[in-house]
Amino acid sequence: MQSSMVNRSRFALIVGVGAVLWALLPVLASRHVIDLFVFAGIYTIAGLGVSYLLGQCGIVNLAQSVFYGIGAYSVAYFTAQHGLPSVVAFVAGATLSALIAFAVGWPILRLSGHFLALATLALAVIGQVLFLEWDWLTGGTLGIGGLPKFSLFGWVLSTPQRFYYLVWPVAFLAMWLNYNLTHSGNGLAMRAMRDAPDAAAVAGVETHPLKVQMFVLSAILGSLAGSLFAHYVGFISVDSFGVDRSINFLLLAVLGGVHTTWGPALGAIFVTLVPELLSRFGEIHAVLFAVALVIAVVYLPQGFGGMIEQRLWKKYAP
Amino acid sequence: MEKIRTVSTALFSLSDIRHSFRGLHVLKGVQLAVAPGAFVGLIGPNGAGKSTLFNIASGFLTPDHGGVHFDGAQIVNCTVQDRSRRGLVRTFQTPKVFGGMSVLENLMVGCHKRSRSGIVGDLFRTPQSRREISEARSAAYAVLERFNLKHVAQSKAANLPAGLQRMLELARAYVGQPRLLMLDEPSSGLNGDEIRQLKRVLNEINGEGIAILLVSHDMDLVDAASTVHVLCFGEIIASGSMAEVRQDARVREAYLGI
Repeated sequence: MQSSMVNRSRFALIVGVGAVLWALLPVLASRHVIDLFVFAGIYTIAGLGVSYLLGQCGIVNLAQSVFYGIGAYSVAYFTAQHGLPSVVAFVAGATLSALIAFAVGWPILRLSGHFLALATLALAVIGQVLFLEWDWLTGGTLGIGGLPKFSLFGWVLSTPQRFYYLVWPVAFLAMWLNYNLTHSGNGLAMRAMRDAPDAAAVAGVETHPLKVQMFVLSAILGSLAGSLFAHYVGFISVDSFGVDRSINFLLLAVLGGVHTTWGPALGAIFVTLVPELLSRFGEIHAVLFAVALVIAVVYLPQGFGGMIEQRLWKKYAP
Repeated sequence: MEKIRTVSTALFSLSDIRHSFRGLHVLKGVQLAVAPGAFVGLIGPNGAGKSTLFNIASGFLTPDHGGVHFDGAQIVNCTVQDRSRRGLVRTFQTPKVFGGMSVLENLMVGCHKRSRSGIVGDLFRTPQSRREISEARSAAYAVLERFNLKHVAQSKAANLPAGLQRMLELARAYVGQPRLLMLDEPSSGLNGDEIRQLKRVLNEINGEGIAILLVSHDMDLVDAASTVHVLCFGEIIASGSMAEVRQDARVREAYLGI
């Protein structure tokens, strides 16, 4: 009992210190670093969906770039071209993404393993082609610029600092929802389905509808991240929504650890900060990043989140 | 007349089940009934069609012809999940546990069919969502001891030895309050002690009024059943108590090889 009390206060201390560091970062860090952290926050939101599908449902999702693109183009279409409020664009993008995820997910989620991964990859390729071809909507290779800054109740998020305080709370909210789901009855049902689908069916788990719902949820997160991205950078082009973006999301999920709630945040910070840190080495930085990735994956098979959970969390968590 | 009576009083029945794979007639009109609370065994040599019949009964396979009734309703086209909600639950020849989850979590999944909370409710931790998960946890704790799983409650299911994985599978079926438990070769991979324990647990469960349909090679285990059916080349060739079927000439020839 005593030790549980001590652990609880230590846990509170760790969380408290983390929160203070998070809150002070925009004050202490340079504009460039804050900018990177904003991107990390955006990637965390999209990566959470990919991470959850992989870790909890055993689904490799390489189509997240499509929903990320839909969210971004929705902002361009509704705010820049039609002058509607951002909220409309966010909701429209998320709704469209959810509908597409449902329509495509229903048939392809009958597949499993590599076949399913390939089907999501095909979706990403189709998305990339359509984003390129439908230049009346997307601006094609030229892209669309001049997107308005995001404003909330008259407060314009014109600087990286301000955007940091929007993006990360959204990411934390998504993580909290993610955590709730993991620890709920449907969270258990998903892991059961991942480990032994036949036995899960015998336990009454409606495996296929559950997978489709999770795919839709992941797509909504992807769209939300894409909308935030479009508002933040103010200029979007098809280059940002290719298959490589999907691979990046999958990469950050695996690096962060797909079985932890907050792993994607660590993975996202890694994939945004480390290439920047390595860029000072010049041409070779891409190779160095690849080496860093290999080292991380080989030595931390459970990802950063898994490593921290095993080494520290067990010690301090209540 | 006799047939009608059997169907109407049975908890579960298979009527005139026929099935073939690429022209090979695996099942040739099988009849089988399980009364409420009964303990029924199904034996037969390799290739007799036991697994096919079992998969048809549990909903993993739809027969070419014939009916499956449970509690008076035709369920031949019902999904596995729907059958489970009605109270018909099976286990697998090789235990299928949720390897990455703890023993306790495995058992909590066994209660899943009683929960009503959806994804959205779970995302926002509604009172219903929280109540259901705590009810599942209590139900899971309550059955740990009976199945000899208390000391491994927090262990990962994948790390359990075969005997305990089998117990876990049984416990997971039991915690969902089934009315008919269908067991596919439950003694495979178990040692003598584990088989004796399995037999004891099955008798206890059956004593609580849960009907059991047991498919097995293991004569000693099938001995626990009150009625035994012998399946041979897609047909039931004998039915009765174990002692009776042992005496049947066709059974002796086809199966016992005496």
